[in-house]
Amino acid sequence: MPETLHLRGKIPLFRITLLLFSCLVSLFATAQMKTISGIVTDTAGTPLQGVTVSVLKSKAGTSTDVKGRFSISAAVGSTLVFSSANSETSTVQVGTGDEYNVTLAQRVSSLNDVVVVGYGRQKKVNLVGSVGTVNVDEKITGRALPNISAGLSGLVPGLAATQSTGMAGRNGAALLIRGLGTPNNSSPLIVVDGIPDVDINRVNVNDIETVSVLKDATSASVYGSRGANGVILITTRTGKGMKKTLFNVTSNTALEKPTKGISFLANYPLALTTEQRRAATNTLPGNQLYKNGTIDQWLALGMIDPLRYPNTDWWKIIMRDGKMQNYNVSAAGGGDKSNFFISAGYRKENGLQINNDYDQYNARFNFDYKVRDNMNVGVKFSGNWSNFTYALEEGFTDPAATNTAGFDMQYAIAGITPYDPATGLYGGVMAYGEDPQAYNPYQLYINSPNRQTRQEANGTAYWDWSPIKGLTAALDYNLIYYNQFNYTAPTPAQAFNFQTNAFGSRVYVGPNAAVSNTNLNGYKTLMNARLNYHTNFGKNHDLSALFVYSEEYWNDRFLSASRNDRYSSALSEINGALSNIISNSGGSSAEGLQSYIGRVNYTAYGKYLLEGNFRVDGSSKFVPGQRFGFFPSVAVGWRFTEEQFLKPLLGDVLSNGKLRVSYGGLGNNSGVGRYEQQTTLSPNNYIIGGTQAVGLVNSKLLNLDLSWESTKVFNLGLELGFLNNKLTVEADYYDRLTKDIILGSQLSNLLTGAFSAPNTNIGSMRNRGVELTLNWRDRVGQFNYGVSVNGSYNKTKLESWSQLLTRGATYSGNTVFLNMPYNYVYTYLDNGIAQTWADIYKNTPQGAQPGDILRQDLNGDGRIDGNDQTAMQASRDRPTTSYTLNAYASYKGVDIGMLWTGTAGRKDFWLNAFNNTNFGTSRFAVTEQLVNNPWTVENRSGLWPRIGGSGNNTALTNFWLDNMSYLRLKNIQLGYTFPKPMFKLLGVTNFRVAGTVENLLTITSFRGLDPEKAGNNNNIYPIVRSYSLAVQLGF
Amino acid sequence: MKQTKYISPIFIVAVLAALMLMPTSCRKNLLDQTPTTDPSPTTFWLTETDATAGMMGLYAATRPCFDRDYYMDGQSEYFRCRGTSITGGNLRLGDAYNGGNFNPTGYGASFDNMYRYLYGAVDRANYVIENVTKMQAKGGALATSTVLQVIQGEARLLRGMAYFKLISMWGDVPYYTISPTSNDQVASLSRTPLAQVKDSILSDFTYAFNNLPLKANAVGRASKPAALALRGKLQLYWGSWNKNGWPELEGFTPSATAATAAFTAAAADFKSVISDYGLTLYLNGDPGQIDGLGKNDILPNYYTLFTPKANGNPEMLMVFTHGGTGTSQGEELMRDFSGRSHEGSQCWVSPRYEIADRYQSTITGDFVTPLVPMNPTVPASGNVARTALNSAVNPNSYLNRDYRMKSSIQWDFEQSVGMASLASTGNVPFIYQTWAGTVNIAGVNYITYNTDGCNSGYVFRKFLRNYAGQGRSDGDFAWPIVRLADVYLMYAEATNEVSGPLADAIALVNSIRRRGNLPALAATKTADKQTFFNAIEQERIIELFGEGQRSFDLRRWRAIERVWGLPGSAGLWRIDTWGANQQRYYQNTSDLEYKQNYIFRIPPGERDRNPNLTQNIPWR
Repeated sequence: MPETLHLRGKIPLFRITLLLFSCLVSLFATAQMKTISGIVTDTAGTPLQGVTVSVLKSKAGTSTDVKGRFSISAAVGSTLVFSSANSETSTVQVGTGDEYNVTLAQRVSSLNDVVVVGYGRQKKVNLVGSVGTVNVDEKITGRALPNISAGLSGLVPGLAATQSTGMAGRNGAALLIRGLGTPNNSSPLIVVDGIPDVDINRVNVNDIETVSVLKDATSASVYGSRGANGVILITTRTGKGMKKTLFNVTSNTALEKPTKGISFLANYPLALTTEQRRAATNTLPGNQLYKNGTIDQWLALGMIDPLRYPNTDWWKIIMRDGKMQNYNVSAAGGGDKSNFFISAGYRKENGLQINNDYDQYNARFNFDYKVRDNMNVGVKFSGNWSNFTYALEEGFTDPAATNTAGFDMQYAIAGITPYDPATGLYGGVMAYGEDPQAYNPYQLYINSPNRQTRQEANGTAYWDWSPIKGLTAALDYNLIYYNQFNYTAPTPAQAFNFQTNAFGSRVYVGPNAAVSNTNLNGYKTLMNARLNYHTNFGKNHDLSALFVYSEEYWNDRFLSASRNDRYSSALSEINGALSNIISNSGGSSAEGLQSYIGRVNYTAYGKYLLEGNFRVDGSSKFVPGQRFGFFPSVAVGWRFTEEQFLKPLLGDVLSNGKLRVSYGGLGNNSGVGRYEQQTTLSPNNYIIGGTQAVGLVNSKLLNLDLSWESTKVFNLGLELGFLNNKLTVEADYYDRLTKDIILGSQLSNLLTGAFSAPNTNIGSMRNRGVELTLNWRDRVGQFNYGVSVNGSYNKTKLESWSQLLTRGATYSGNTVFLNMPYNYVYTYLDNGIAQTWADIYKNTPQGAQPGDILRQDLNGDGRIDGNDQTAMQASRDRPTTSYTLNAYASYKGVDIGMLWTGTAGRKDFWLNAFNNTNFGTSRFAVTEQLVNNPWTVENRSGLWPRIGGSGNNTALTNFWLDNMSYLRLKNIQLGYTFPKPMFKLLGVTNFRVAGTVENLLTITSFRGLDPEKAGNNNNIYPIVRSYSLAVQLGF
Repeated sequence: MKQTKYISPIFIVAVLAALMLMPTSCRKNLLDQTPTTDPSPTTFWLTETDATAGMMGLYAATRPCFDRDYYMDGQSEYFRCRGTSITGGNLRLGDAYNGGNFNPTGYGASFDNMYRYLYGAVDRANYVIENVTKMQAKGGALATSTVLQVIQGEARLLRGMAYFKLISMWGDVPYYTISPTSNDQVASLSRTPLAQVKDSILSDFTYAFNNLPLKANAVGRASKPAALALRGKLQLYWGSWNKNGWPELEGFTPSATAATAAFTAAAADFKSVISDYGLTLYLNGDPGQIDGLGKNDILPNYYTLFTPKANGNPEMLMVFTHGGTGTSQGEELMRDFSGRSHEGSQCWVSPRYEIADRYQSTITGDFVTPLVPMNPTVPASGNVARTALNSAVNPNSYLNRDYRMKSSIQWDFEQSVGMASLASTGNVPFIYQTWAGTVNIAGVNYITYNTDGCNSGYVFRKFLRNYAGQGRSDGDFAWPIVRLADVYLMYAEATNEVSGPLADAIALVNSIRRRGNLPALAATKTADKQTFFNAIEQERIIELFGEGQRSFDLRRWRAIERVWGLPGSAGLWRIDTWGANQQRYYQNTSDLEYKQNYIFRIPPGERDRNPNLTQNIPWR
């Protein structure tokens, strides 16, 4: 374990001094004294070691041993004081008895809380950086969380965890710390037990002890070029400090329902009628595709012959109740020499969509051993294995341009029989005039699933040695290996027409369907050599220093192949097919990073705090000369409540107060390709004599000046603890400037046809924001309760841009302009739906008819064109404001908790393939809304413009612009911990059952599927609402 | 821990720190990672093989600027392009045409991608020319290498082709021959006048002509007659612009003298192509055999010419090759030209109804009585549309037509080989508006041609393979840039402009007609310059249908008004065989839009960055 616990040497020393002191005191004890002994335990009955026991108004004192035992001499009538850093202080009056067993309640907020920071741990009170922490307790593990990223939502101000889909296997939340730091990869660095580059969504939630979120420069700068977007440190459990081996068994079972779905129309005759209305806008009845006879026939026969005249409710066919099961077993324990943690977990998810399944096995083993008094070795191993089945990349959709069928869900007409079990045939279109290319999603999901298995192994070995007091040298070596295998081997199927009893022309999956395999594997190594030095000098000076040398190396490889003409459609391996038609591809890439890291912490008089950090990173992505980036930071803190002159003023009200300021730099090279800065020729082959001939072209113009993208972060924080820290307040202000953003330059279009634009350091972007956390914790008798409120506000603003920016300019699909958020809203304004011709004449001519949206002529030039769009200070992708209310209460064994989260400040257009009023004239999956909402002469108050109207009805106007704010009851949990005595004989130390509901309630004005979803707006995989039951057993 | 007493902590720190600061990394060359699949240019451009690979790269970069020109026919009156199969961002899969508007009007602002990729081809050509010139300058065997000499010719030819297309769309364009290494070298170029660019292209074509072999080294590479044909075509266009004017192009003053000189020079080049290289039309221009109505076992030679079976035939003067399955270089003609019954093709393009009457009678050699569109479904009983005389849905109305009609288009009950999963599914009869319906023809059940892409009542046969085995994106047809039949017709046009109908020109037009099994032109059709021009235009429409020539012809002839009516007029409907109106074009269309159809818009995004770049008049 790479943490540098400079407290390690300190506490025992303190303890020894106390012991010596108490021995001395006992020498001078008087005759009235008697020996009092007893056991100190916590509320759960666990013995507490190291509790200071002292006699009030006397110098006598001792502390408890590992079994919680103490023994002290005290006079009758005197008062014993039991105190420890982590517990509430308690007093006992010495009476006639000799044996006093004391129960200490855990402190609601402790000054000695230790926070995991980069390459070490620090006392929370001495922290000068902005760090948010989450302790993963039974309340979190009791939730039906598929992964920890989803579980972080709302828990740390400034950390946005956005859930865009409920798809099993892809339901990790997108994490973003303090707004969009860069248009490049803006995800925080994930570090698990000191090892970066771990997939957060594959870490077993039950293995996690704490999560630290490093938000500012001083806390993240030891991660230098990797920490520009903040860092999330995950620490897994160990057996440290545990004397007895503790087993934990947990089980969590959840039932999942969609928070909201799309109501596709199951009434095919009505859908065809809607298509007729669509066609009627510009087509004479005789020329329309769908005839009245067809519709009448379907209406009549649909009631008696569902096979030949189906009215398929696709949403019911392709959806199901989701399920999630999560089982874990772990054991942790330790002794003087060693300690361990071992766990195994199994998670199984059955998504809301049929054939969308994911299961994952996790194992972890942490072990360390003290080989000498001053030397430790240890290993950490974790591995996971997952199996994943899905139909399309987003479940129901696939946005990739290469998948021309990616949005076919809009063609899932109700007039198709999904499947006939009697004959084993999949239905196709049957209605006269219907487009044979209509879509049978059931067929696709059943016959053409994508399958993926992935294995990861992550092993670390470390060794540390303290040759002299205060100095520790350590060496860590880590290897992450992954292997991923994807295959598809679709089952042939052809559309069947049950009316004519013949196959239709659509071949869903051809008889020669290919088997295709893709294998990805790779490894990453990390070597850290570390030196820590810690010393006290003078009386009040505490200094520690850290130096790390680190090397990281990535190597990734892929190989894929496919063959047509399988011997049998049941086969899914390459050799199960003829080699007539084959394809394959493969390649590899590597990257190296060399880093020097340093940190100095200095504390004076326990109240003046100073920290300096730096990191130098050298990356193989840059050319020599531009390789190294230097990222320093500095921070100061002042615990003003420790000042004697302020104590009288603050009195008992303000128990803790700290002001901290930090400033520093971070870097980023994620926008640069591994070999981007090297000249290469690329293949562009030609055909000579019927076969390929080598063709090579030069497609690169290099920018040899390209260097690191850098981020400068200023952070001002204030921490206050009131009323003995029952109420804590933490406020932060930050100003984060990302400079030299790495993005493609603009080339003349005389060049862009041949050359890819070289990256350049294009501009800068600033995120300014505030974060506030209020925490109230208290206990009244046996009633414990707490309320935590946090909120954050962040504004992203583009400050400079070296390339030409014109009106409405976009960069990779994002609107970009100075002093605007990235991907700001750029929209037409409208005057609503034209009701009459008079409305049309009152507005600028724009080819509208009654029922069409009337756009405003903003520049008044008498015509509507792109120049009439206006910009709004709102991002289409992310909110500015997030807030959370987290409350819990417990009484005896019963506990209840709930988590509300909300956001505001995001606006986006609600336009997708399913609410398109200008839908296709055939094979369109009409929704109920498209029947009821569009404007007609009879439905003048219709919410939507007329169907088949002006193409401008689906333009980006504020008609379709929605406020994406929402307030959501993210989680509510009710738990019951069975009282100890009930199971004590069985050896059970903890037994809790809890029921939770996720995403129970959402309050929003957004008209679409879910306001939390971001990204492709045709993605209709709902977010899940889950009802779960957790059983947590410890023995 | 005794020893530690004797070791200064500072010493330990110093030693450990020094170890950690070692200048070299533990892993060898940690920061020097080399690309794994792409070669480095530092060891390139040394041998003839290198130069050939560079040239092949240039061919492959120029090909996609031309090989989907059939979409461009959508800007004419007989060809509908309802969409495209382009994969955005992928040059090989049509990105040059991406965003293009392929309708008869309103298209001039949508070819920014074509503009940039044509310059991409110019850049690639300049890169090859510069590096091969450097190789030749090294002296020795390289200086006299014929391989390098041919490559120089080919690169000049391709550069000329790119610039030729640029000027024919945009008029004046920036002209440069350097191989840029930074944006600054080209970012502020202004437009070079048309005449000057034309002269530069001409000199490139001449250079190519002088350096290329008599016969291409391989199918898909260039030869002398190709350079000559293209030089003739450039001069024909130059002549047309001078004769007909190009008022939308600022600074261009047409000159009748220049026109005549250009037509004369063009005719000379074409004449040389026709007579000096022993080239003949495919299968000597024989019409071949034709099957009965509704049958597709024996198809005329003209049909075969546009299938991969005819790849490498001498009529194709200059082609860009494509590769079949597994080469990642397939063409998508089938995907665009046919429907779902053919490997799930998408029927993005189809013949418009109006083309049918353009196909003449093999008996009279002249136009037939116009077809009568009839709806075969109403009234429900007593419908006679399938049997009525001249009914567009009566197959018998298509008897005895130009062989190129059956070769190019399919009408109701015409059949083609259906295919799925690379295997034949048997014949599919095309019956408009039936989309994979079942039909019994002469006692045999068929599933009809499935497409939602056609709104005219006709689908293409031209470019559609009549055998299975290749996917819709895996075609290996070599796309013609210029072919002998076109040269014949261009020769006739050029000479007609200079001296009216000449006997050898009439004979060449008749030889084109012969492959449609049409009789020679009647004397009335060659009576004077105008009637002969009409006959040439008729042949160009039929012979070059779907080859991307028609819209360029309409513009250089300034014929848009003649075809569609004058500005402000009612325009023309395009209809289908059932008589339903489909689309109307040029209804109440402004004078400005006509002008915008004659010259394309210089990409405004580029003008934002480059103040020296002027805009064409109608786009200001």
